[in-house]
Amino acid sequence: MSPHSPAIDQIDTLLWIGFVAAVILGVAAIGGLLLALGRNRAARGAEPRQVTGGVGIQLRVGGALGVFAVALLVLSIVFTDRAREAPATGPAGLPAKGGEPLTIEATGQQWLWRYQYPNEAFSYYRLVVPVDTEVRLDLVSTDVVHTWDVPDLAAKADAVPGKTHEVVFRADEEGTYLGRAATLSGQAYAQMRTAVEVVSPQEYEAFLETRKDDIQAAQDRVVKLIEDGEVP
Amino acid sequence: MSPAQSPELVIDGFPPRRARWVQLATSADHKDLGRILIAGALGFLFMAVVELLLMRLQLAVPENTFMPPVTFNRMLSLYGATAIFLFALPLALGFFYYVAPLQIGARGTALPRLGQLGTWLFAGGATVLYTTFLFTPPEAGVNPLPPLSGIAFIGNNGVDAWLAACGLATLGFLLIAVDLVATLRRLRAPGMAWRRLPVFSWAAAISAWLTIAIGAVMLAAIAMLMIDRNFDGVFFAGDAGGAPLLWQHLSWIFYTGAYMLILVFALGAIAEIVPALARKPLFNRNAVIGSLAAIAALGTLAWMQNMYTAPIGLGWMYFAMIMSLALIVPFGLVLFNLIATLSGGAIQMRAPLLFAAGAIVAIVIGLVSEMNHAMVAAGWRLQHTTDSTAATHFALVGGAVFGGFAALHWWFPKMTGRKMGETLARFSFWTMAIGLLVAFVPLFFAGSSHDQVIDAYEFFSGEGLAAYNLIATVGAFVLAAGIFMTFANAILSREGGRPAGHDAWGGDSLEWFALSPPEPHNFDLLPDVRSARPMRDIRAAVAHRSAREEQPARERQPVA
Repeated sequence: MSPHSPAIDQIDTLLWIGFVAAVILGVAAIGGLLLALGRNRAARGAEPRQVTGGVGIQLRVGGALGVFAVALLVLSIVFTDRAREAPATGPAGLPAKGGEPLTIEATGQQWLWRYQYPNEAFSYYRLVVPVDTEVRLDLVSTDVVHTWDVPDLAAKADAVPGKTHEVVFRADEEGTYLGRAATLSGQAYAQMRTAVEVVSPQEYEAFLETRKDDIQAAQDRVVKLIEDGEVP
Repeated sequence: MSPAQSPELVIDGFPPRRARWVQLATSADHKDLGRILIAGALGFLFMAVVELLLMRLQLAVPENTFMPPVTFNRMLSLYGATAIFLFALPLALGFFYYVAPLQIGARGTALPRLGQLGTWLFAGGATVLYTTFLFTPPEAGVNPLPPLSGIAFIGNNGVDAWLAACGLATLGFLLIAVDLVATLRRLRAPGMAWRRLPVFSWAAAISAWLTIAIGAVMLAAIAMLMIDRNFDGVFFAGDAGGAPLLWQHLSWIFYTGAYMLILVFALGAIAEIVPALARKPLFNRNAVIGSLAAIAALGTLAWMQNMYTAPIGLGWMYFAMIMSLALIVPFGLVLFNLIATLSGGAIQMRAPLLFAAGAIVAIVIGLVSEMNHAMVAAGWRLQHTTDSTAATHFALVGGAVFGGFAALHWWFPKMTGRKMGETLARFSFWTMAIGLLVAFVPLFFAGSSHDQVIDAYEFFSGEGLAAYNLIATVGAFVLAAGIFMTFANAILSREGGRPAGHDAWGGDSLEWFALSPPEPHNFDLLPDVRSARPMRDIRAAVAHRSAREEQPARERQPVA
């Protein structure tokens, strides 16, 4: 996995900060414990010192830990806010129409992701978006809770019935990014996967047109079959 | 209650002797009920381990067809309910219920029939969950989120059984907690002020209040989901004026509180074991007790940490993050005080201390990883992956299994009069420690760098996950072997262990003043408690008196 959107860059940085903080705390606690256990065995024959500590040392240790916690809190808020910033569409992207970002509705349903594009074309499993463009996904669900999870492009987000959950991202590079559902949704949960195909704006426009024509053609054919009486 | 006016014991002859099982089944004695809870919890640990192993077998290789998806989901649901409702919580409450009345010098509990009812409600819940093997086990996951757990998506009775089982068990825990609160408030021995209460009894009080708070919330949620499923309710129906997110809030309050309860239990037990086996008083009792209370409160308030991916406001996520990161202070203070207690001590590395040390290491690894999940944007990336499986299992296996086994080795001599075998305990500990690392460290990598999602019955080849999962499966079997060794040790030591005497470890609290195993009424005679280390005072007084009385006798003895 590697970051391919500005938000994921920020999240990656925060992950590294968190990892370093975890190592510092973990090594201090486990190291202190093992040292204390190793150095003070009864076998060395020393009489245990019957000492207890006052409030001062607790305040100092607690204060130091508090400063550590506040530093982590501030860093988390800074990077979380950066990760949430709506990324502006770049020069290589599809220009926004009427100031609104490109909005696609993503529907979680047992056990598929369905994407509905602005021109009413739709696709299952595969989401096609233009590169370097601010894309807004409106996550909805028609049945149970699903989590949309494409780790290279955007933060995880739940599709909950009755709610619309916005996910905004900008893909920096053309390519295909795999994703999956990340909340248990029933029997075929593990197979509920998705792929985001990032293409140039021209290819995206072409895809939308072909897709719409294909859907229209298929629909016409079904209607004709019904009219001809070939389908009951 | 002043000690002067109450007679010690009034006996109008001996009660008729009944068969052991009749006595256990009808007993309202906190020691009998505590033993039922602990033994039952360990039995369900066995079941949870078996279920974990079956799931790990399915996840040993990519695209495995060892078990069908529905079976995997059922195994997962049973595993979650078993591990939390039937193992970790009854184990913690069982030890509190057995030990705390002894520690405070009580002759029983304040509301014994309530504790008895609670224990058997737990047994009833466990029975309901496992009779589902005869029809359809639950299949909605560890936390059965609506709408999936609604009647429209899972029409069979599995989820209803889950709700009944967990509801009965939760109600039972709540009743036991009420008895504990009443006992700790009303039945402390003369002189046993709150400031002299042993740390483990403080942990019992904190956990009992926490159980009452979170148990009530869970019971409400369970009742609502039962109404939704069976009586056309719409509490959690998103399209009919209900809110699926409501269940998430209520259930996560319970699960997060339970998580904290398990850690408070483990740290409370460890805070009894460490001073006794280092021959030093706890470095600062008040700091440890205050920190345990803060862990229970702050940790439970961080419940929305589990909902970072849900459509809730960013401010709520920040609130959860503040509560979560604030936990660094109390957890850090508890660890600091334990380490400071060990420093300069005369440490005897006996089995309880070994398991206690293992518990601390595992809990630290789990919690520093959870810390990353608490940082909102990092949580978006790490949650719902096996990274969270690994973090939770390090903390909870550390707390409930390693910490629980430390408590078991520590109080086993009190319950049976015999110690558990040291050699087997050491083998068991090191096998478990290696198993835990091998089973769950790979899942950190699989989750954080390869985005393996939780709860999935299969993973796919070509995504770099195969090696991690195979190693994790091997590790799970090693962990299970280690756990089973301690089971064998406990069973063998009940009859065949070395006699431990009444004061098995030289602990400072009053349970070591009672006989091993204690008489039904706990104490013939209660001492006046004059410090936070009453048993130490008793030993000093006994030594003082025998020195005074023996001195002249020895002088008169001829020199050989």
